[in-house]
Amino acid sequence: MLDDGLWLPVALGLYLGATAAAAVAAWRGGASYRLPMTLVTAALAVHGVALALRWMRLGHGPYVDLFEVLSSNVWSLHFAVLLGCLLVPRIRPMLAAALPVLQVLVLWLLVVPPSDAAAPVTYGTVWLPVHVVLGKVFLGCTAIATGLSLVVLLRRRAPRAFATLPGDASLDELAYRFVLVAFIFESLMLVAGAIWAQGAWGRYWAWDPLETWSFVTWLAVIGYLHLRAVRRPSPALAALCVIVIFVLAFSTFFGMPFVSTAPHKGAI
Amino acid sequence: MTSALARAGRIAASLWVTLASVAAAAAVALAGGGEVFPIGLYIALPFAILFVNLIAALATNAALRRRGGLLGFHLALAALALLVAADRLMALYGHVEVTEGAAFDPDLVEASAGPLHPWTLDRVRFAQGGFDIAYAPRMKRRDTVSEIFVPDGGSSWARVLVGDDTPLVADGYRFYTSFNKGFAPLLTYVGQDGRAQSGAVHLPSYPLNYFKQGNEWVLPGTEERVKLWLHMPEPVYAEDVAWRFRKPEDARLVVIDGEQRHELRPGDVLPLRGGLLRYDELRTWMGYAISYNPLVPWMLASAALGVLCLAWHVAGRLRRTSWELERRKAGGADAG
Repeated sequence: MLDDGLWLPVALGLYLGATAAAAVAAWRGGASYRLPMTLVTAALAVHGVALALRWMRLGHGPYVDLFEVLSSNVWSLHFAVLLGCLLVPRIRPMLAAALPVLQVLVLWLLVVPPSDAAAPVTYGTVWLPVHVVLGKVFLGCTAIATGLSLVVLLRRRAPRAFATLPGDASLDELAYRFVLVAFIFESLMLVAGAIWAQGAWGRYWAWDPLETWSFVTWLAVIGYLHLRAVRRPSPALAALCVIVIFVLAFSTFFGMPFVSTAPHKGAI
Repeated sequence: MTSALARAGRIAASLWVTLASVAAAAAVALAGGGEVFPIGLYIALPFAILFVNLIAALATNAALRRRGGLLGFHLALAALALLVAADRLMALYGHVEVTEGAAFDPDLVEASAGPLHPWTLDRVRFAQGGFDIAYAPRMKRRDTVSEIFVPDGGSSWARVLVGDDTPLVADGYRFYTSFNKGFAPLLTYVGQDGRAQSGAVHLPSYPLNYFKQGNEWVLPGTEERVKLWLHMPEPVYAEDVAWRFRKPEDARLVVIDGEQRHELRPGDVLPLRGGLLRYDELRTWMGYAISYNPLVPWMLASAALGVLCLAWHVAGRLRRTSWELERRKAGGADAG
């Protein structure tokens, strides 16, 4: 029971089940999303146990190698989407758009070997968990904005599935607000990362692949915020911009393992 | 005149200038090649342009000035850009090797620095003690603890422990231990004139270069070179088990003098090229990474202030209006 490897497959199965339940709910006209939300809650609980057991066994948080980064982000992104649906009940049908996107990570996690990584010495600082948590809040807010933006784009083809949601302009406004909050947390994440890097390696910025792409994402968010303030784009165009931001952020968080085998590898 | 000035202000405030300055900074960083974050005028310039761009945006855009949070955010961002520009002109990045039992020598530092760097490395004083490095299986370097001694202000030396993430901070410079470290045979050469001169020969970094633990030494007072090689019958490192960096107990110093090969143990003396070469002992050397960024606290303060102002602006916006436009229209209020 104390083997974290036993808990994870159960959690991943529950995530996939929640996604299927959300799709069925949308197909039926979106009357109730209680089942997918319950399944996500159960998945988070089981997955949380798996993460905690691994943390206790290895003595470091889930942020060292690709498996840990993926696993912790699967947890935090599902948690963010669930929290968004709990705080703003009217957007619950958005689950049918957001959960399938997150299942890309779930399926990916299934094929990544869960090797036991050792944390580098420079990871032993409080600024690292601060940096990581801020990054997860940023990505979580962006994921909710992306779910809302997907609804704006998808309901042209499937109007019945998202009929109970507010109009496009309202969803666009809500997505914009989530991106605003995400921008604050992304800025804080960069600041916390710079403090960590300055203390650990004597340089606050080194243009390593992760830093560079985080900065590109930050610029993309600035571009979207200015575009929305100055040009007032249509909800569909704004939704596309949000999806581009999510793709950039997603590539930054999860694409970098293909460039280096650990986050900030160049600095280790 | 006024309209020309306004036009120039509008051009300087353009988002295209923002993008161009950021792209220029990124291009210089990419062109910098080996340098992690280039220093000097070329990288400072884009940030200086960004500063002008942000100030111009504030001067020409009344909407930005009206909202306190947005004004604060853009001012903080401008300050940050200016500070980064100044930092790139003042920064220094370098490295140095220090022999166990010897003092830090600023002349041995290899560094690149911005044109406004004050060059006060000669004020830094410390002496190198020993060090301890733990390795996990599969040659993964874990904690490095280097013992150094710094003047305590009186007539004595204070012991300080430095590591990969725990720097020695002296006169604004930060010294971090690095992967670069190794062995250093201490040699004394007594020439024909009877003068004895000692020197430590740094062998290549260990265990990275375990297969080539050799170097050359120019005999003091001559132009003669001898080849040295540290023969370790048993390696210090281990591939598959945890181990700690230590000096080899059974190592012998091999001196190659032309066609002749001599093996020396600590204390052995070898007649060589008309003088005497004594192998005193085997020491270690530690390589330090050095950095100098005096404006970092100010940069941190600007960044923190900027995010606070942004949060203030966003909180105000979220509080004032509903996201549901249908409800907003029904209520008739929109503070924007």
